[in-house]
Amino acid sequence: MTDAGGVTRRVFLAAAAGAGLLGGGLPETLRGGSPDPPRKPRVVVIRHEALAAEGQGPGPERVREFLDEALKALTADTKAADAWARWLKPSDRVGIKVNCLGYSTRPAVALATAASLGAIGLAPQQIIVWDRTSDELRRAGYDVAASGKSARCFGTDALADRGGAGYGREIVTSGGIGSLFSRIVTDETTALISASVLKDHNIAGLTCALKNFFGAIHNPNKYHDNGCDPFIADTCAAEPIRKRLRLAVCDALRPQFSGGPSLRPQWQWGYGGLLVSTDPVALDRVALEIIERKRASAGMKPLEAEKRPARYLASAQARGLGTADLASIEVLSIGKAWDAI
Amino acid sequence: MSTIDKSEPVAGAAGDARTSPGAPAPGSCKSAPGSCKSASGSTRRALLRAVGGGACAACAARLLAGRGAFAAEASAEAPAAGDSHGRIVVHDARWFERLPDKAVKCQLCPRECTVADVERGYCGVRENRGGDYKTLVYGTLCSLNIDPIEKKPLFHYLPGTAALSVATPGCNMECKFCQNWNVSQVRPEQVESLLMPPENLVRSAVARQCQTLAYTYTEPVVFSEYVLDTAAAGRRQGVGSVMISNGYIREPALRDLCKHLTAIKVDLKAFTEKFYAEQCAAKLAPVLATLEVLHDVGIHTEIVVLVIPTLNDSADEISAMAKWIVKHMSPDVPLHFSRFHPMYRIQNLPPTPVETLDRARKVSMDAGLRYVYVGNVPFHAGESTYCPGCGKVVIKRVGYNVDVVGLRRGSCASCGRAIAGVWSQQDALAFKPKEKAAT
Repeated sequence: MTDAGGVTRRVFLAAAAGAGLLGGGLPETLRGGSPDPPRKPRVVVIRHEALAAEGQGPGPERVREFLDEALKALTADTKAADAWARWLKPSDRVGIKVNCLGYSTRPAVALATAASLGAIGLAPQQIIVWDRTSDELRRAGYDVAASGKSARCFGTDALADRGGAGYGREIVTSGGIGSLFSRIVTDETTALISASVLKDHNIAGLTCALKNFFGAIHNPNKYHDNGCDPFIADTCAAEPIRKRLRLAVCDALRPQFSGGPSLRPQWQWGYGGLLVSTDPVALDRVALEIIERKRASAGMKPLEAEKRPARYLASAQARGLGTADLASIEVLSIGKAWDAI
Repeated sequence: MSTIDKSEPVAGAAGDARTSPGAPAPGSCKSAPGSCKSASGSTRRALLRAVGGGACAACAARLLAGRGAFAAEASAEAPAAGDSHGRIVVHDARWFERLPDKAVKCQLCPRECTVADVERGYCGVRENRGGDYKTLVYGTLCSLNIDPIEKKPLFHYLPGTAALSVATPGCNMECKFCQNWNVSQVRPEQVESLLMPPENLVRSAVARQCQTLAYTYTEPVVFSEYVLDTAAAGRRQGVGSVMISNGYIREPALRDLCKHLTAIKVDLKAFTEKFYAEQCAAKLAPVLATLEVLHDVGIHTEIVVLVIPTLNDSADEISAMAKWIVKHMSPDVPLHFSRFHPMYRIQNLPPTPVETLDRARKVSMDAGLRYVYVGNVPFHAGESTYCPGCGKVVIKRVGYNVDVVGLRRGSCASCGRAIAGVWSQQDALAFKPKEKAAT
């Protein structure tokens, strides 16, 4: 079996050889045909010490090795390109939504994702690495450019010349939210990948794949009451996001288990992981478990005790966005066990 | 202390090379006077856009001067004034408390947001930067107009005068019927704005013969630092200041503002917590507390209620509201019932029937209020002011046409009864808030 830098899969994947095996609320595989009967949604967690390095960390090429391996595990394909092609087609225009507020998604993770998309035939002009503003991207270390080697990269504000500071003109209502969505989503993409970073959040409890899309609306500040619930779920259930979101990739290289969303190095640790799923709710639920276990090992209270229990996950499940029940999620570890903190 | 964050354009992405931050030194513009962009025949919004589209502040000043607008002297005399699109103006906030781990607790409004480092409060215009709390809207005007004071509406305050009316982006509520949501429900970096220091705004008001500065359109509470400084500067130059507010503010900040303001209009959205929670993402009780403080302070206050069919239009609710005003404030507080039109997130309800407004007016007068008005209904008799003693018309209004027909030195010309209100600029500027009663 092909491996990435010497890692081995800890779970035999034969049972998952079929396509379309993933539950959750996202689109079915693009390959067509009848998917297998619904199974548990799968979250792949790939870990390696090379991913846990401090400082600059691994480069995009190295990250891509692990990311491709995780995608293969997600779909049970033997070739990474086949795995990616299940969810994205060469004609797609893909927005890779990173989170640059405070502690940011590493550029290497976004660039690795873009490179893998390139390998299935997407040109750099078809891929945008984006967040709210170009300034935030720059501060997070991204090379902001209208054209790039593997992708374009800019913020919503870069489309200000279209009016509305880069946001649409029509209010989109979804449950409790009423928002303008980024024109990067509505004008520039047919598909989205949530490329979040795993970290604690002082109000929501957790910010990961789902909350990442608060960066797609013009007024996220209005929706932090009640632990951002149900507003995170409502944002992701809104048509512009729901119909485009294909995949969630999470940078868990050095997650932050307290003090988020701002950068607090003293509460980061070398988990050395990447999480991948087509079910963003399931991915967030696994991510939450990782954070909770780390907090417990550090003698911290559970998020529930701090009155920020990530309750938005249940709302997301209720809206059909995915699975929030950990027992109903298949967590597939590659390398060190996902729950070995 | 204000600073400006630079935000560079994305070459080729936006296709829009915005002006570099800050105004050039006087005389440094290489364009011919007024040649940066022509604003001839443009709207004020287009004018602001033109200013934001690459003109230097000096040329913006010329454009504005050519339009007979407000900022000519401001821009010419203050290099800091000008377009702020694409930039964030960072100014120290007041009314907050520092918490551990670089968090802050905002003390400005009843939300009392706990804001982590790099985050913003609910209003979207106050940001924690490394444990220091900053306002991002100090002097960044997204709206600038000369309005009749009746448009606020203030009917018992210097009738027939003009108010230089300004707003910055942001609000601490999210009313689903907001009429100005495109500036109130956005973050400062999402709208074009003109940077206008307090002294410049006051000078503009004086130059345009406006007796009053009005902080309006969005929610002035969220730009209270600017309101406070501008109102203080205005008083020194003989210009009053009125705040058109939702009343969602904590008492200490409110009392600070009242030291410089000369009148306030409060939007009382409804008289139930249910309405405030479901339609405004807020609470009623703090607004009522504000009204009590305003009465205690003694500042001239008027109240507006936007009557929305089925949501806040029951006679019982209106009656309870009016009785509360009589009991906790005064029967002399002017109360305006304004007509709703479908807007923002409430598009499924019809405009308020005029009969509903008439009923609300009658119910309120039956409850003891003396000055009750109907708004947004042209030619309605309820636009005018009547003497509560003899019933004669004191101030006749048709739209914004005002005819003070029966008021003499603040009293009814017919029967001599005092009419509550502020009827001269001298009286307006003489206002001093009463000290808080010792408890």
